[in-house]
Amino acid sequence: MATQHIIIGGGPVAINAVETIREFDAAAQVTLISDERAHSRMALPYWLSGQVPREHTYTADDASLKQLNVDARIGQRVESIDPDGSTVTLDDGSTLAFDNLLIATGSSPSELQIPGTDLSGVQNLWTLDHTQSLLDTIDGKERPKVVMIGAGFNACIMVNAMYKRGWQLAVIARGQMPSARVIDEGGAALVEPWLREKGVELHCGATVPSITDAGDGTKVVELDNGTTITADAVVMLVGVKANTDLVHGSGIEMDQGILVNDRMQTNFANIYAGGDVAQGPALYSDKPEVHAIHPTAVDHGRIAGANMAGHEVHYPGSLSMNVLDNCGLQTFCFGNWNDAEAETMTISNPGGYIYRKLLWRADQLVGAVLVGPANDMGMLTDVGMVKGILQTQTRLGQWKQFLAENPFDIRRAYIGAGVAQKLIGMTLTGQASRPRGFRFDGKIPTAKVSDAHATFMGTK
Amino acid sequence: MVKMLKIVPQKCTGCMQCELACSWVQTGTFQPSQSLIRVNVFDEEASYAPYTCLQCEEAWCMTVCPVNAIGIDDAIGATVVNDSLCVGCHLCTLACPFGTVFTTPQTHTAIKCNLCGGQPACSTTCPTDAIVYEENDQHGDWFGDWSQKVETNHLAAAENGGGS
Repeated sequence: MATQHIIIGGGPVAINAVETIREFDAAAQVTLISDERAHSRMALPYWLSGQVPREHTYTADDASLKQLNVDARIGQRVESIDPDGSTVTLDDGSTLAFDNLLIATGSSPSELQIPGTDLSGVQNLWTLDHTQSLLDTIDGKERPKVVMIGAGFNACIMVNAMYKRGWQLAVIARGQMPSARVIDEGGAALVEPWLREKGVELHCGATVPSITDAGDGTKVVELDNGTTITADAVVMLVGVKANTDLVHGSGIEMDQGILVNDRMQTNFANIYAGGDVAQGPALYSDKPEVHAIHPTAVDHGRIAGANMAGHEVHYPGSLSMNVLDNCGLQTFCFGNWNDAEAETMTISNPGGYIYRKLLWRADQLVGAVLVGPANDMGMLTDVGMVKGILQTQTRLGQWKQFLAENPFDIRRAYIGAGVAQKLIGMTLTGQASRPRGFRFDGKIPTAKVSDAHATFMGTK
Repeated sequence: MVKMLKIVPQKCTGCMQCELACSWVQTGTFQPSQSLIRVNVFDEEASYAPYTCLQCEEAWCMTVCPVNAIGIDDAIGATVVNDSLCVGCHLCTLACPFGTVFTTPQTHTAIKCNLCGGQPACSTTCPTDAIVYEENDQHGDWFGDWSQKVETNHLAAAENGGGS
């Protein structure tokens, strides 16, 4: 009989797991249960900014799920898991049996415990519905004013999206902007003046005791320092928490998230977890970590999918990293960028908004922060090479001293220490990856060449 | 077997013609800083080598893309960006461990080597045959020797008291 896989969730973990299972096993039964339709949260800011339509955030549709032969239960929720009986119970009371289960329930924004969060126009900005709701609130208003409470990754990326819309923005950060979870203090020291120069109102080191309704549709946000801000909408993004409610009391082991091994298995070998809800092997950490970022979700989904399909693969561990466009100032952070014990090399040109920090334990790079104007940063090779050094855990030996003297010459250390050849042939699932996603249905991408190319070749 | 770009570091003189050709055909400018192939000019080690996407097996850029804007052109074995789908989130630039996926300032979308659709301008323009487009299933087999040379020469220079 075909293996029965059940996947809970509709984010990148779930879709990558489905597609990976199909790479190894065409016959398996796959059931996907998700209360939201399958989409990428990473794409929501680009819908909010008006660059792409809502549909662009979707990662699967009825046709593609059918093509993948998935029994998709969109709009349904799993109410409980019975690990010993290997069954799940859905919100309609039905019970489904599984051979393998993948829990990819993601995370949710933490709730602010203050008066006024229930007012209309005061909201989180996390889901498809939240994004639609903010667009509805703002609809028809010219240069609306929006207050963002929070300075984490999600707050920052949404601020950039709203900036692109030309909205008036105020950000309230408990500490620095972006927060220490996103970047180090030195990096934030450049982002803050840059944002102010772009017209973003920043209130750093402030908290919000309450939000009130002004009566004319606007909201009044009160700060602990006595300042008040009137706005058309208030967005709250003050951290995230793993969606672990489903597993409480089930016997599945948890810490900050669901604990998984390097095959994404929980303490029950046939129950897997991945993405924001999972706490698993992490590079540059002795302990399992929750890395609630898109790249980790993709990795987890693919590792879990391969193992569920009976193809044993082991995950070396997730690498904490992020990239943000802060209204034109680009920041990239890798590894342990706030490791207080690490030896650091820092170079800064505040006038040019350029900053770079490399963090070391002995001759091993353990973290990095790179900041610069977006137009320059996107064309540098350094960003990826730093990632390559960290991903391969290459000890840099003599190149550490070289980088101390030449922090912008990452390339030479990267080549000299032999990072690239370690990466050649390295795959996550033991085989070459293939394109996926329903957008490719009927339009397989082909390399485009410019008219300039024809002109050039004509001269040769 | 598909064709790959093979680099022969011993033949590279560091003339930068590949960078000029690449930036012209890929971005319409004669700007080495916009080139998708980058010549590593290690003068102190008397070592030069062009460096660009190896069209690697894992395709970290493709798997990380949240909107499936990156795919594989099977005819030429190149990982390519579909401009019309890319939202410019930079995740591919972040995730590529080779440092060969860029985000272009003109359109704020991802850009990477697409082998010029099977007629790579860098290889055509190289006057010393240091970039050869040929059938080869050994991705980047030239890396090891070259890395060793860079490392050895750097060590020697450091020992001679000059450093680099």
